[in-house]
Amino acid sequence: MLAFELLLQGLVQGSIYALIAVGLTLVYGLLRILHVAHAGLFTLGGYIGVIVTNATGSLLLALLVAMPAMGLLGIGIYRTCYQPLLSRPPYVALIASIGLFIMMEELFRLIFGPYGLSFTAPPLQDTVAVFGVNLKEAELATMIGAVVLIGGLALLTLRTRIGTASRATVTDPKMAEAFGVNIGRIRDINFFVGSALAAAAGVMVALLNNLVEPTMGSVPSYKALAIIVLGGLGDLRGTLIAALALGVIEAYGTIYLGNLLDRDAIAFAFLIAVLMLRPQGLFGRA
Amino acid sequence: MLKLENLKCGYGAFTAVHGLSLEIPQGQIFALVGANGAGKTSTIMTIAGQVELQGGSISFDGRDISKLPARERVGAGIALAPEGRRLFADMSVEENLTMGGYSRPRSAEAEAKAMVLETFPRLKERITQRAGSLSGGEQQMLAIGRALMAAPKFLMIDEVSLGLMPKIVDVCYDAIEKLKARGITILLVEQNTQRALAVADQVCVLESGRSVWMGSAEEAREDPKLIEAYLGLAS
Repeated sequence: MLAFELLLQGLVQGSIYALIAVGLTLVYGLLRILHVAHAGLFTLGGYIGVIVTNATGSLLLALLVAMPAMGLLGIGIYRTCYQPLLSRPPYVALIASIGLFIMMEELFRLIFGPYGLSFTAPPLQDTVAVFGVNLKEAELATMIGAVVLIGGLALLTLRTRIGTASRATVTDPKMAEAFGVNIGRIRDINFFVGSALAAAAGVMVALLNNLVEPTMGSVPSYKALAIIVLGGLGDLRGTLIAALALGVIEAYGTIYLGNLLDRDAIAFAFLIAVLMLRPQGLFGRA
Repeated sequence: MLKLENLKCGYGAFTAVHGLSLEIPQGQIFALVGANGAGKTSTIMTIAGQVELQGGSISFDGRDISKLPARERVGAGIALAPEGRRLFADMSVEENLTMGGYSRPRSAEAEAKAMVLETFPRLKERITQRAGSLSGGEQQMLAIGRALMAAPKFLMIDEVSLGLMPKIVDVCYDAIEKLKARGITILLVEQNTQRALAVADQVCVLESGRSVWMGSAEEAREDPKLIEAYLGLAS
């Protein structure tokens, strides 16, 4: 029973990782940039979630504000921070991204205060039994939300013309352009979608911890980078599997190795172990 | 249909083509031949808007398209089957065709696909396969098919015969003649001069980014030494 409970806990955590990492992998696939500041949108999404919920009492409304708002901010970051640097080597954009992320964290500290915010009346805190295991409603909502959002993304990329164009752009941007794809628009859409998903993850984490604080994006940021490497940079399916696997391994590891290593150390030990055995990522072709 | 005037193009400080002028009339097959590095591919890719135009002009259908962004040239009626095919390798044959027709309304897709699959029945059998898993010949057919999805008035095909078995080259050249019969103007880039001459109406021989001979293919066919002389040992 404990094993099953841990599996569910791991999948909840993995869903959060997946929502964050998907945006990173979309950006990496298109631009070959490690978009570190992505985690800043996750944090800001969390703040908006708490503030809007506290002001209106509606968590759903909070999500509906946070997601498009972060989506647009994502496009803004692409246009102002990355687009002018595209002709430079990728590490230039990486440095810009790290700088932007630090700036965002400090801005959150200045604007929202150093101690973080909580819900005045935390929603979805009751427990429900799922296959005999007690889960918080918030945990269940996180899993369902992740499945719906990622399922929607899969439909978008696999079943629509714009999704096909997006994948074609990842494979060969010049050829996609030669057949009429507006590359700039594809980038905007990818930043919008990836950032909106990160915002959803931020709201979910706020809900699970009943806390948002300025640096809540740091650790997820490192982990999301690890996940997209494991998933084979730019590979959506690999990223999803790696995210869920990392969540589950952390959940088991915390219980069975908890007195040796802490949660984050387990995650990175897993990363190092996988990369030693499969440097091309879990599913990458050598 | 297509007119190049004193076209110069290249990559940054490097100039690949130094002032090429030519005119391709509607409905003809024009062959651009020459050794490796003569500037054939650069010329094609400049017409497609992918290589930097450094001087001169390109006009298409009487309209100057020198400054038109690459993605709008396909809508104007110019399509490309590029060197090395450059298919979307991870996508299915069908998705590659969809991408070929991306510049056109979705409603035109089904009919265009049917037309391409009729031209290359082989692709029909492979429709759900990954493009990257096709044989070289099938990939070339898909590259041409993908370009046809754009319903081009003007089709550029780069090195159609490269790395293919002679039988497959026949299939591709048969298709090229059929396309001409349908009224599509075609620019062929070829190292296989014999093949190109057999179907072309006009020929231009490029050497080190300059045109060294231009004339009717008939003339070149009648005097096989003519082109060889210009190509030297490269042919």
